[in-house]
Amino acid sequence: MSGRWTWRLLSLPGVGWLSVFFLVAFYAVLCVAFGNQDTLSQPVPFWNPLDWNVGYVLDVLRNIWHGGQYLTVLLRTLAFVAIAMALALLVGYPVAYFTARHAGRFRGLVLLGLIVPFWINYLMRMLAWINLLSPDGWGTRVLHDLGIERLFLWLGLLSTRGGWLDGQEATVVIALVYGYIPFLILPLYAALDRIDQRQIEAARDLGASPLSAFLRVTLPLSMPGILAGSVLVALPMFGDYYTPDLVSASTRTNMIGNQIDEFTRQGSEKVTGAVLTLLLALILLALMFYYLRSTRRAAAEHAA
Amino acid sequence: MIAWVRNPWGRPRWLAVVTAAYVLWSIVPVGIAILFAFNAGRSRTTWQGFSFHWFTGSTGSVLHDPALQSALEHTLLLAGLCVAISTPIGVALGLGLQRWRGPGGGTVNTLMLLPLVTPEIVMGVALLLLFLRVFPGIGLGTPAQVIGQVTFTLSYVVVMVRGRLASIGREYEEAAADLGAPPHDQLLRVLLPLLAPAIIASAAVAFALSLDDFVVTQYLSSDASTTTVPMLLYASARGAPTPALNAIATVALVITLATLTLAFLVYRRFAGGREAVELASLEV
Amino acid sequence: MQGEIRLEELTKQFAGVVAVDAIDLQMPPGEFFTLLGPSGCGKTTTLRMIAGFERPTSGRILLDGGDVAQVPPHRRNVNTVFQSYALFPHLDVAGNVAFGLKYRRVTKAEQRKMVVEVLERVQLGGFEHRKPAQLSGGQQQRVALARALVLTPRVLLLDEPLGALDARLRKDLQVELKALQVDIGVTFVFVTHDQEEALTMSDRIAVMRSGRVEQVASPREMYDEPATEFVADFLGVSNLLPAEAAGRDGDCCVLRLGESTLLAARGATGSRGPVKAMIRPERIGIEPHGSAGENRLPGLVERVVFLGGSSELHVRVVGGSVLKATVVSGDGEAAGLSRGAAVSLHLPREALRVLVPDSAQEAESAAAAAERPVRTAPSM
Repeated sequence: MSGRWTWRLLSLPGVGWLSVFFLVAFYAVLCVAFGNQDTLSQPVPFWNPLDWNVGYVLDVLRNIWHGGQYLTVLLRTLAFVAIAMALALLVGYPVAYFTARHAGRFRGLVLLGLIVPFWINYLMRMLAWINLLSPDGWGTRVLHDLGIERLFLWLGLLSTRGGWLDGQEATVVIALVYGYIPFLILPLYAALDRIDQRQIEAARDLGASPLSAFLRVTLPLSMPGILAGSVLVALPMFGDYYTPDLVSASTRTNMIGNQIDEFTRQGSEKVTGAVLTLLLALILLALMFYYLRSTRRAAAEHAA
Repeated sequence: MIAWVRNPWGRPRWLAVVTAAYVLWSIVPVGIAILFAFNAGRSRTTWQGFSFHWFTGSTGSVLHDPALQSALEHTLLLAGLCVAISTPIGVALGLGLQRWRGPGGGTVNTLMLLPLVTPEIVMGVALLLLFLRVFPGIGLGTPAQVIGQVTFTLSYVVVMVRGRLASIGREYEEAAADLGAPPHDQLLRVLLPLLAPAIIASAAVAFALSLDDFVVTQYLSSDASTTTVPMLLYASARGAPTPALNAIATVALVITLATLTLAFLVYRRFAGGREAVELASLEV
Repeated sequence: MQGEIRLEELTKQFAGVVAVDAIDLQMPPGEFFTLLGPSGCGKTTTLRMIAGFERPTSGRILLDGGDVAQVPPHRRNVNTVFQSYALFPHLDVAGNVAFGLKYRRVTKAEQRKMVVEVLERVQLGGFEHRKPAQLSGGQQQRVALARALVLTPRVLLLDEPLGALDARLRKDLQVELKALQVDIGVTFVFVTHDQEEALTMSDRIAVMRSGRVEQVASPREMYDEPATEFVADFLGVSNLLPAEAAGRDGDCCVLRLGESTLLAARGATGSRGPVKAMIRPERIGIEPHGSAGENRLPGLVERVVFLGGSSELHVRVVGGSVLKATVVSGDGEAAGLSRGAAVSLHLPREALRVLVPDSAQEAESAAAAAERPVRTAPSM
């Protein structure tokens, strides 16, 4: 029947495009990572897997194994992402919860407030903070006046007065939170919105206090949404390099993304850069497939 | 005030406080940045009076600074090309996937979803190497930038089209067939008109994504002529730029928000509020 | 022979589930034919196969003698009215109705004329420029009808078209639809789960269950002479008394119910063994306790359900079964009965029908197929 092939034919341009500009591109990464460097420090990809040169890959792995700079960067990235995610959930969940369940007639307005930052250019949002946190910026002044600066100095989260943009890990983490939290709140909101109000009412009816109903009904039901949203945000965060670059001038706060960027785009160690990219992709692969599987399952349940 | 917050019968007021604080924290800094675009003086931190100088002034403004203008033009060029290419391909792929029968559909679906979950730097490096070593004939520059942008916006178009198709369902096509319409007419006379709001909306989203894109665009740029507004923001942010930077960022922002608001309204008019919100938050 | 449909051994399987199991049906031309059954019985699947939206796994669909099972839907001269009407939201009423005319090589002027005519016929004259969203449910349904009828199909398929309407509107439209069918003379194949609807409108009903056809008959026949327990129970209210059949007496079946003996003149009168005796509530006579005569069962009134024009008496008889008997309001003594009253129920032999219970039926047909000697000769 002609029907079947009509639809496959329609898919062809898209599939073709993604195959070439996505799949082949990844194969290029593999082939460069397992390739070599010529005399001009340009990468020479080895297209045939049988020719693959494991030299560069082994170098990187050895570096990690012996606690070298790559391990440091990876661990730092992990730490940044973990802390930033925790903070984002801490702030984002209550906001999403409020919007989904208690906003009442203001819901539209609040949603607008949640959606707008989502669409403001990421760099512009960072730019705004650079303005505010520069030594003579309003933000610096306010933080000083409110005593927060003193608190951070005391906690060791800030090295010098007014030096927010001076290679501070705390600033990077908070910037990550600021940058990525809108991407977390909206899926959280959607998941919470989908929870049937009646189940919570049933729990209350059976004797649960508001807190108990939340812990025993709402929270578990929203867990898939929390996980999905977290993964959705953690993935790009792992590969972030522009945030540390913008809010911290120093290599002290380098994330793995910075390392890759320095080697690949800025410098001439593209092979090592490709190896690191490969490593990053592999680490994140598990997360990526988890997310894909959970959305597919959610879509199936939705349709049922 | 404390009593108002701690009201035991009403909804938890502290949640409202947190939410309000978050929204302010989220938007106010950007508001301030926009404000300084209208600063009369050169400072980006000290208010010196209101002026349109950085937008339309004779020197160093968006309208008259060649570097800023070129960046804005290039950004819009890329966005236009990106939309022109990714929308048709994406709509076709969305239709094909939604109606796919038989084996292979799952694999194609996964392939389509992969760009959505791939970190941008990974895509940037991959595309960079692709245009350096696989297609050196194309090399870096505008064509590469367009191709890179299409590659990741495609999936967004597909997802939105599929979402709309799912809610339309098969009935209208069946009714058309029942009344004598052959398959291509079912598509043209019934399905595409019903799909129109989703197509417009996804075109707008692709436009906005392209406008705001940074990593892939930067990785595939060749020289100063292929600089976009986001790249400009990145390069100048830590220097000592004038409020012209704020001005151009504001211009780009206005374009993006206008496009998206239009898309949202179009979609809502034809599809319904709930779907439009899901669209805005890009439910995958 | 315009508009006759024959289904021959039509089967549809979905991933291991048999939705339609080798059914044979004949739908004569010009009739209002109803497919009736509970949800999941396969009636909608059958309809969709006739329309062409599902491809049969095996079997033939003969439209006026020609097999159309492999013909795509846009080439069959059969049209459908969908349950949700499926009116194209981006076209107005005239656009919807004229949609199929584009494939008929009709000039624009003729199209317009035909649209106006058919809209008049369904009493929507003047609605040409309204959009579907502006119409009420009943109006939308009429547009859907008009859209299909303007193409003068040989057969019109209707998939529970009245399901989404409220009860009052439903009743009015039932009458209208039937009148329309008689007027136009097109074969209507109507799918519903509402037995009242089926009884009201149909010339012939096919009761379906689990992919098979239980019985095909006119409404009257099906009501008075249901072939199986399922059909008896599905249409109207029925009383099903479990009893033991003990062979024939003349042309009646002897039924033992506890200590009572009943004679049944209808149904499988030659049966032996456990059977069900069926009688409709309105055929049961209510007499004072202790009255004598053939087919009298003593019982106690358990409940009286007031239905307006009549009441339903729930009487518990010997053996534990509860029989429902209809009493017309104002009908003398019987109307005044209340809970606890002792009565005697008269089940006239002409109204009592012997039905072989389903499992026994299957066992019998299996036995017959295996050609084992059978004690009685079952007959339907």
